[in-house]
Parts: sequence; C-alpha cells; structure tokens
Amino acid sequence: MNKRTQLFFLLLIVTLIASFVGHLFAGQVKITLSDYWNALFHLDESNTNHLIVREFRIPRAVIAVIAGAGLSVAGMFMQTLFNNPLAGPYVLGINTGSSLFVAFSMMTGLSFLQSDVGIISSALLGALIFGFIILFFSFFTRHHVTLLLVGLMLGSFTGAIISVLQTMSSAQELKAFTIWTMGSLQHVQFDQLPLVILFFALGTIGSLFLIKPMNVLVLGEKSTELLGLNIQSVRVFTIIITALFTGVVTAFCGPIAFVGLAVPNLTKTLFRTQNHSILLIGNFFIGAIFLLISDSIIQLLEATIQLPINAFTSLVGAPFIIYIVLKRLK
Amino acid sequence: MIQFNTVEIGYKQALLTINKLELKRGEVYALIGSNGSGKSTLLNTILKKIPVLAGDVYLNSTAVASYSVTELAKTIAFVDSKFDGIEHLSVVDYIGLGRTPYTNALGRLRSEDHAIVDAAIEKLNLGTFRNRETLQLSDGERQMVSIARAICQSTPIILLDEPTAFLDYGNRKKLIETLNEIAKTENKCVLFSTHDIEICLEEKGINLLVINQSKKELELYSNTISKSEIISIGFSLVNE
Repeated sequence: MNKRTQLFFLLLIVTLIASFVGHLFAGQVKITLSDYWNALFHLDESNTNHLIVREFRIPRAVIAVIAGAGLSVAGMFMQTLFNNPLAGPYVLGINTGSSLFVAFSMMTGLSFLQSDVGIISSALLGALIFGFIILFFSFFTRHHVTLLLVGLMLGSFTGAIISVLQTMSSAQELKAFTIWTMGSLQHVQFDQLPLVILFFALGTIGSLFLIKPMNVLVLGEKSTELLGLNIQSVRVFTIIITALFTGVVTAFCGPIAFVGLAVPNLTKTLFRTQNHSILLIGNFFIGAIFLLISDSIIQLLEATIQLPINAFTSLVGAPFIIYIVLKRLK
Repeated sequence: MIQFNTVEIGYKQALLTINKLELKRGEVYALIGSNGSGKSTLLNTILKKIPVLAGDVYLNSTAVASYSVTELAKTIAFVDSKFDGIEHLSVVDYIGLGRTPYTNALGRLRSEDHAIVDAAIEKLNLGTFRNRETLQLSDGERQMVSIARAICQSTPIILLDEPTAFLDYGNRKKLIETLNEIAKTENKCVLFSTHDIEICLEEKGINLLVINQSKKELELYSNTISKSEIISIGFSLVNE
C-alpha cells in the first residue's frame, strides 16, 4: 500500500465518522448529545427524543452506511465480472428482480410473505434470479452497451408485470408497495437492525473471498482459467454475493439508483489501482459516505421539499454516469 | 517434459499428426508453420483447451486430460501474442498475478512470493518501470512484463503464442534471446510459435519444430538446418 493510498484511507475514515455524526444530527427535531447517551443507556420510553433516537435516527444512519457500502461493493463486483464500467445492480436489473418479488409478496395478501423474513427472502430470491438472467445474457454479448440495454428491457418488462399486479391488489397493499418503491432509509426499525447487519456481514465475509478472483479476472476470462481459477464458480459466486447485498438493501430501503454504478467508478479513479482489496475498502467507505451525506441533505431539506432517496441519488448519479459514458466509451 | 505419442490434433478433423516426440526441460522450441497449419491448435491442445482426436499428450508422464485447472496452472504458464495493458494495473501488481496458483483463498502474496516477483523483475531488467501502469508501456516492454509474469508462475513449461508478432526487429531478437536464456538458466521447457525464422536460426541452441505442410506432421530439427530447407518443408515453396 503506497503513501497516497494510506492517506486516502485515513481521510475516508475521518470523513465517514464525521458524516455519520453529522447524519445523526441532521433531522428536523433538535436532539442533543445527552439525548443520544440516555436513549442508548438510560432509555425513558415516555421521552419523545429518546424514541426518535432509537426508532429513527440510529437505524437510519446505520442503514445508510450498509446500503451505501453494500450497493457500491456489489457494483464493483459486477463491473469487474462483466468487464464493464457501466454495470451495476440497478442498471442491470438486479434491483428490478428484487422489486418484482417484493411486489409479489406484498400484494399476495399472505401474511407470511409480508413479514420481514418473507420480504427479505423474496428480495434475495428476485435479485439472485435476475442476476443469473443477466449472467446468461452476458454470454451472448461482449459489448458494454448491449448488456445495459438488456438490463433496461428487463426493467421495463418487470415494470409492466408490477403494474398488472398493482391493478389486482387492495388499496392498502398498493399504498405499502408504492411507498416502498420510492426508496427510503427511514423504514428500518431498531429491532430489524440485527437482521440487516447479519446479512450485510455475510456479504462482507463472502466479498473477502472474491478479492483474489476479481484481481485475476481483470486480465480476462481466458487468463483467469490459465492462472488456475475455475471461471464458472467465480461467476456464480460473484452473482450470489452481489444478489445478497442488493437483495437485503432493496428489501429494507426500496430500489436505490446509481450508487452501485457511480461509486465504484469514482473509487477506481481516486485510488488508481486494480487491487480489489483496496477497491473493496474504498467502495465500502465512499459508498457509505455518499449515502450518509445524501440522506443528511434530504433531511435538512425536509421542511421545504420531500425528496425520496432514489430521486436524490438519480439527480446526482445520472449526470456523473453521462460523464463516464462520454469519457470512457467515446 | 511434454511427450507426444502418435497424437492427432485439430477441431473435429485432424489438422496435424505428431508421431513420437519429447520436448525437454532446459530447451527452447520454436514452432514454425504456415498460417492455418495448426500452431495455435497445438498450443491450445497442450493447454487442454481442445481435446486430442487420437493419442495423448503427456506432461511429465501424466496425460493432459487428467490435469485439473489448478494443477495445469502450476505446470504451464502461457503468454499471449499481445497484452494490451490495463488501466490502473501496475507492472508489479500484474507480475504478482503470476503467483495466483500458489496464494491462499484471499490472494495475499507472502514474502517468498514478493521475493520471486522481485527476482523476475531483476532478471528481465524491468526495475525502472516496476511501478508504472501497464497501459503506459510500449508493446516491447509489455511483452517482457508478460514473460516476467510467466516466470513468476514457477512452472516447468512456458508456452507463448507468436510472442514476437507485434514487435520491431530489435525487440524480436531481444525477446527470443531472453526465452533462450530463461530455458537454460531456469531449466524450463519453452515452446513458442513464430514466423521469425532468421532470428531463430541465428540464435544458438534453438530447436525448430516445423509443421511439414505436405505430410501434415510435426518435425523436429536442430538449428543447423538452412532457411531454404525450412521454407520448402513448412511452406511448400522451393527456394531457388
């Protein structure tokens, strides 16, 4: 690790802590440091500020870190796997898969499927199935933009199925699903956090074992095999890890666009390396910081304008992607 | 090291027959033949990319077909005719990827791996661009860097598919000399396909494997053979 990388890591750690703390104090209700202390260690259930801390502030900040980091890391894996700077869980339709399956489970009226575990399982299954669909199509095209178009078409196709589902569902189910699709970091409750953290930890541990194959995969699939790695299992394992991150984030926050596409590109430009152990840490930090800051801005603007997180990330992310397209794929 | 026993190779129909032949460690073999005569097919057969049509190719008395992907990566290192370089991938990191078959699941290089990488860099005099990006090198430099990566793979065999195809005269000569030196000093069996007949004849101790165009057979010659003989065997032209 050279000096430049070490300096970046130090800066990112400081920024992450600062933006996490900033996020905790960014909401409209004024909450003091002692409220935080007491809410965590001397909870008074009749105190509104304590409840805001436990039920809103802390889960929202933690989920911002997890969603930002998870989507960015998933995006990095997809970009290396498909050798495509434009790949990401959102554009390639992995989120879409989750959305479709979550729509099914929310609108079937079966209470089992509407529980936390039901929704997470649906989101994971949807992400996994759509991940393998994209992997299948990737065998037919080496062209960057073609795969993207396939992802977009998958999006339109599932969008249509979801519309049909919506016409058949009850008003209450429809409302729950519509709110979910807008994407938000505030739906997660304190007691759901362990489950989210568990899945995120599983994904992170799995990611460590993808560092080596990703570093080699940069040389192309032929070289990967000649260096002794089984390319089929690398592909399958990458899709599983990507689906795990995307599925769990999508289940709790709804679809969040562009983070998984923009952050890995930004990270690679900053660190100027193909070493995925450095890129993994970089994406983790930059993704988390990006979503913490985005969500802080959303909270600060809340009094004047209600922005869903998905709208905000698209506003920032889409121009950045156009820049990448023009620069890298002239 | 590489043994052939009446092997027929090709895609579906036989392109080339190799009767009885053994390629040894410490020797360099230049594979010469016309376009489409089966040079790449032969290399791909040894790499287990294409199955043999008849007979068997043996590496150290074990049939190639029974090698696992990992075992093969510890036995053969392969260098393509061109490495285009990769954005943000440094020379030292690229050469280090040659250690992939030996690193643990997390892919971290141990101190002995770093020592092997450093030794290869020193051997090929690549020290000056150790930290440069592979994308910024010239074609000649990139080919040398690829050979360093192959050396780091610590395999008894190195195969190269037309490694000189995109190089200028000076770099062709230098590359073939380097291969010759590696084979002798590191006791490796080096096999490369090429069209640079003159350089292979000038350089001492290079064995020539010529694909006989009329018989469709692979024939081994020492480099006392003349250029005109090679051309008449391999390219069905009689040189006046």
